[in-house]
Amino acid sequence: MNVSKDLIAASAVPLILAILKQGDSYGYSIIKKVKELSGNELVWSEGMLYPVLHRLEDQNLIQSYWRNSETGRRRKYYTIKDDGLKELELQKKQWDMVHSALSKTWQKLNQE
Amino acid sequence: MFDLELNIRSWSDHLRARGNFKETDLLELENHLRDEIDDLIEAGLSQDESFLIGVKRLGNVNAISEEYSKVNSENLWKHLLIDPDHVYGVSRNRKYIALVIIFSLLAGTLMKIPELFGFKLFNPADQLFYFKNLSLFILPFIAVFFLVKHQSNWKMTASILGIFFLAALTINLFPSYPPKSTELLTGIHLPIFLWLITGAAYMGLEWKLTGRRMDFIRFTGEAVIYGTLIFCGIIVLALFTETIFRAIQIDLSSFIQQYLSVYGGCATAMITVYLVEYKKSVVENFAPILAKLFSPLFLITMIAFLFVMIISGKSPFVDRNFLIGFDLMLVLVLGLVLYVISARDSHDNNKLFDYLNLALILAALIIDGVALSAILFRLSTFGITPNKIAALGENLTLLVNLGGLAWLYLRYLVKKNDFPHLEKWQTAYLSVYVIWMAVVAFAFPIMFRFS
Repeated sequence: MNVSKDLIAASAVPLILAILKQGDSYGYSIIKKVKELSGNELVWSEGMLYPVLHRLEDQNLIQSYWRNSETGRRRKYYTIKDDGLKELELQKKQWDMVHSALSKTWQKLNQE
Repeated sequence: MFDLELNIRSWSDHLRARGNFKETDLLELENHLRDEIDDLIEAGLSQDESFLIGVKRLGNVNAISEEYSKVNSENLWKHLLIDPDHVYGVSRNRKYIALVIIFSLLAGTLMKIPELFGFKLFNPADQLFYFKNLSLFILPFIAVFFLVKHQSNWKMTASILGIFFLAALTINLFPSYPPKSTELLTGIHLPIFLWLITGAAYMGLEWKLTGRRMDFIRFTGEAVIYGTLIFCGIIVLALFTETIFRAIQIDLSSFIQQYLSVYGGCATAMITVYLVEYKKSVVENFAPILAKLFSPLFLITMIAFLFVMIISGKSPFVDRNFLIGFDLMLVLVLGLVLYVISARDSHDNNKLFDYLNLALILAALIIDGVALSAILFRLSTFGITPNKIAALGENLTLLVNLGGLAWLYLRYLVKKNDFPHLEKWQTAYLSVYVIWMAVVAFAFPIMFRFS
């Protein structure tokens, strides 16, 4: 199924924040988790993840640091900050609201 | 055999060339690609398949680069305002800005000093005096600015300031008798001579190196372009000031003539020098484009001129103003050609502008030939005058310069010699100009008995 671009863009921030809440991670691994979670339905243009990450860092929601991986490759890890957690809560409420509103309409449509 | 490492490098170079990425951004993206490729290879794909799929998944290079430019754009304009090398750079930068302000004020004040001795800037009788001395009011300060910047040793400082001092002394002590041709010739040639001396201050101790001399040619071209722009700005400011004050019945024209034009002119020169030297990244993007825009236009003008001259059968031998026009145009064209050469990107394989430059040089050579024959004709019919001898010398030096350039350009284009060869010859030729300008400015008045 092709998810529309706008929906992908809108869901990117809460997805990234939620994944980082589970633990620090780096770009490639974040992408893999998103694929896993969506059963390969949410396909990002992977390069676009990084500008989003950098913007979140500018907004002080996440923070980055460099660490060497087991393979010796230098990786930039991202960690969520307090503001990021707050933002995640806010986004969660908004998405829940949209979700419940949509669910109710779907139910009505089914009853008719 | 598919070379994975090479392909990854060329991919990241491709991104790097767009200029929107920081080095760490590139490393991050590159590592992403490597992780992806490792996983794909593990899943059973070959190296080249993995590379292609990895690049595809990362997405469109243009789109990524554009996104990065939005994130990093803050840095881009910061580069324009703040000297990149940190605190040391900032304090040094402040020092230079202070020097620019002080020197502009000093140069302007120096220009006002002759008024104490009864000279008037806009008095027709004193015009020649100011014309002759104009370069002496400003260029020494520019030279000192560079000497301070390079922290030059006393020997260099003393020689350059000594030359300025001697030049000022000689030309003002020389008597001048009507029709004052030699005095006027001095006025024309002295600024060029002194500018080349200022060039020695600009180049510092490496003034003999081809590279430094090329930098100076480039600097000259950019200073001309930026000086003109800033000067136009000052004129607009002056006109605007005068107009709005006239609306409330206050006449500022004498203030503008007396102060704004003098100090504004000096400030223009100093600011131009500072901008061209310290905001290179801004200037470099703009000036070469202007030069490339105008070189075809000059070529068209010159060819049209030659064409019309032949068709109409009008002889340029008659009018002496023709000769002055000729020479001005030749100097402009040579300047343009030299600037394009100095701003040339040695990694650029596009030879279009090399051909265009060669065409410009050849057209200028023909025009110079016409001018030379006109001068020889006038010399044989009307006898020797300082003006004609000076013009003869100018056209001969230009002829040799253009001829040499054309020859080396041709050899370069048929791959007989490399481009640095041409640069070396051209920069060595600069000393011919120094000598000729000095001869006309200082020896001509004596040779022709100050007439």
